[in-house]
Formats: sequence, C-alpha cells, structure tokens
Amino acid sequence: MGRAIGTVALFGATCVALGFLVLPIVAIFVHTEPGTLLSQLSNPAVVDALVVSLEASAIAQLLVVGFGTPTAYLLASRRFPGRSLVITLVELPLVLPPAVAGLGLLVAFGRNGLLGSTLDVFGVSIPFTQTAVVLAVTFVASPLFVRQAIAAFEAVDPNLVAASRTLGAGSARTFFRVVLPLARAGLAAGFALALARGLGEFGATIMFAGSLQGVTQTLPLAIYAEFDRNFDATLAMGALLVVISAALLLTLKLSAAWQASRQSSPSRSGLLGWS
Amino acid sequence: MHPHIRMALAAALVAAVVVSATLGVPAVAAGGGSQSRITVFGASSLTDVLPRIDHAPRYSFGGSNMLAAQIRHGAPADVFASANMALPRQLAAQGLCSPPVAFTRNRLVLIVPRANPAGIRRVGDLRRPGTKLVVAGDGVPVGSYTRKALQNVGLSSVLANVVSNETNVREVLAKVALGEADAGFVYSTDAKTVSGKVRVLALPARARADVRYGICLTTDGQASRAAQAFVRKVLGTAGQAKLAAAGFLPLSRG
Repeated sequence: MGRAIGTVALFGATCVALGFLVLPIVAIFVHTEPGTLLSQLSNPAVVDALVVSLEASAIAQLLVVGFGTPTAYLLASRRFPGRSLVITLVELPLVLPPAVAGLGLLVAFGRNGLLGSTLDVFGVSIPFTQTAVVLAVTFVASPLFVRQAIAAFEAVDPNLVAASRTLGAGSARTFFRVVLPLARAGLAAGFALALARGLGEFGATIMFAGSLQGVTQTLPLAIYAEFDRNFDATLAMGALLVVISAALLLTLKLSAAWQASRQSSPSRSGLLGWS
Repeated sequence: MHPHIRMALAAALVAAVVVSATLGVPAVAAGGGSQSRITVFGASSLTDVLPRIDHAPRYSFGGSNMLAAQIRHGAPADVFASANMALPRQLAAQGLCSPPVAFTRNRLVLIVPRANPAGIRRVGDLRRPGTKLVVAGDGVPVGSYTRKALQNVGLSSVLANVVSNETNVREVLAKVALGEADAGFVYSTDAKTVSGKVRVLALPARARADVRYGICLTTDGQASRAAQAFVRKVLGTAGQAKLAAAGFLPLSRG
C-alpha cells in the first residue's frame, strides 16, 4: 500500500513538472495560427534580428573555439599551482547574472572603461557596435565550451597519448591525430551548448551593445522591442528560437548516442555527462 | 498490468488536482491582495517622484508602451501612469482602463555627457557624421516625442546617427551619463537626477513637443478605494507640489 502511494506521488510530481516545463513552449506555438507565425518570419524586424544573431554567434563561436580549445587543453593536461583558481575564473561568467556581465563589459571596454579608454585614443569605440554583441555573446558562452572541453581532454586515455609519443609522433601531431579525435564528441557538446547560450544572450547585450535593428538587435532583443508593437512577431521569433535550441539539443543527444554506440568502453559515455 | 493502469490513472488524477490547485491558488491570492496594497504601473520618468508622493503602493516602472502591453496581457495593475495620453486612451478604448486624466507635463531636452566628447552645442550639431546618438524606441513615448521634435525643426535626418533605440527614457539617460553615447533625448526631470554627469541643451521653442502625462484606473483599480485615493493624491495639491519640486511642469500652460 505504502509503495503504491509512493509510486502515485512519483508519477504525480513528474506529471506536474513535465506539464509546467512543456506548457509555456506549447503556448508559444498555439497562441496564434501557424500561418501567422510563418508569415511573421518574413517581417523585416525578424529577418534583421535573425541575421544579426547568426552573424554574431558565428563570429563568437570562432573565438570561443579558437581560444577556448587551447585554454581547455592546457588546463586539462598540465598541473600547476593555481590551476583550480584559473578554472574557477574561467567558469565564473557561467554563474554571473547577465546584467553584471553587461556592466563589467561596459566598464572594461566602454569609452571610459579600463581598456576602452585606451582604445578610444586610437579611435576604436566598441559599445553600440556588432563587436560589442560578439564580445557579450563570447563572454557568456565561452565558459560552457571550455568547461566541457576540459572534461573531454581529461577523459582522453593518457596511455594512448604516451604511446603516440613513444612511437615518435610530436606533441602537435599527437594532439591532432590522437587527442582531438578522442575528445571530439565532448568538444561538439560544448560547442552546441555555447551556441545555444549565445543565441539566447539578452542582458549583457542590451546593456553593452544597445539595440539597433540590423546592427545590434539580436533575436532576444527584438522579442523585447517588438513585445508591445507586434506580438505575433515576438511569438514567431520565440518559436524560431525554440526550434533552433531544440535542434541543437537534439544534435547533442544524437552525437552522444552515436559516440556511445561506437565506443565499447562504458566509462567513455560519462564524458558527456554535462549538467 | 491492471494495477499499473490503475496506478497511472490515480497519478493522472493527483496531477490534475495538484495542477489545478497550483494554478488556482495564486490567482485567487492576487485578486484578494488588491484590497490591501495596490500596484501602480508608472512611466520610467516617474521612478523617483511617485514614491515621494505615496510610498505605499507596489511600483513597476518601465517604458509606458511596455507597461500598456503588459496590462493588455493581463498584468495585475491597479493604476497606469503613462508619459503620454495616447497609450492610456488606447487602453480605455479597449475597455481596460478608465478614461485617462492628464496630471502633469514635462519638457524634452537634449543631453550630452559632462565631458561632451563630440562637442555638441546645439541640436543641429547632431548631424555630424559619426555622432553617437541614443534615443528611445519609436513606440516609447519619449522616443515618439524625440522624432516629432526633430521633425518640427527639419532635422529628421539626424536619426541616421542613432546607435541604439532604448526601451525607456532611463536607459537613454544611463548611456549618456556613462559617457558611452555622445548625446540623447530625455525629459528635463530625468536630466536633473544625474545633474553632475550630463549637460542639458534646451531645444528651440518650435522643436518642443507637448509632453502630457495621463493617469487611469484599470478594471481592477476602479473597484479599489486605495487605487482611487492614489489618483486623487497625485492630482491633489500635495502631489502636484511634489511633481513641481521634481521639475515637472504644471498642467496650465504659461
């Protein structure tokens, strides 16, 4: 009897949780007719926001991967004093409120900022530009990639690396031929997570980059700007972001499943256990 | 198999009860709460002055257009104090609030950072290429007044120098006060709140837009004595004195 009640409670709680999490997403799609949503996708404000978002995310992801991969590899493969501190610092933007990130970027790269005032002397002004959007997105998204990449590099069997070196491969060759292929799935997971986080960036962008259609107005900013003017457009952009995010998550799951099926060792799948 | 199905049905029933309870309770609580403490939705430019007139209500400040949209989507406001007459009139036409009453006026001004990096002395200087001008978005009252004022003096072309359309007047103020923008359009009362950080440039008389604030009671507010008392307070002598002290203009012109 007690067990039955326990099971009922378990099911009940799950139903509530599931309903609560799914309802808002369903509501975005059913609030207006699908035809209206689709026609809003050609609204210039929506198209401009999509282009700004995709461009900024593409550049940001290049920076994230370009600087994040070596950083993660160094932190994963070397032990040095202060390593934990460095990892904590790299992860900090992950738990920082986006508004604080925006504030920090302003007082660092703003015209009167720590570094920005020097840049201003050379005629470089970052706020209100596409560069500002890219910096905001990179700042909030990169820790997700780096964290995942550290875990992926740490999970690479050191014996394989040692074997590669013993067989005469240099460190660069070992990295590209052994380490990188083995860490690939983990890196891809980090990439997808960072991309999803970057596409959703709002707080830091609106504070640091402002909001101008076709220049700095990303999809989340356009949702906010159009909220009182064209509610159908905000729903269309919301639906678009749901679809993109879901596609990223699905890619992540599929690549994880694919990787797990390819590798016999069950311990490997643990490397994808992102939380 | 049978007990499993029964269990699943029971679970669904429990879930339905829990969901309806969690959905129902807060709605009832919110409805009952309107008796004790009212909620006032106020234009950003009223952020400092309204709590000085009455500190009792719960306040939500923002762009009047955003607040109006929230009211349209069922936000629990009792009073709406807008930086224009048009938005509360629209809500009144939709049956969402009482016909608005004008309660104060304001003046649109051009502000530049204290250091004035772009060397702007008058509104015409905004035409210089590369000037970083920050304004409020088109639907925001101050954004509409800005566009109207520029049009009045034949300077709509300076809108090409806009680097950001902010969502409320205080965002414009912040970006100029921080020195990130070269210039921005705000109300004279906003400029006063950061007087050490910005310089105020008056606009030529023919550029001035008639900035008139309207207040109305929402459907909830019309049933609330506290909400009615709040509106009376704002319109009364003490409320008008507080508005005047903050730099707002009296209703009667001249």
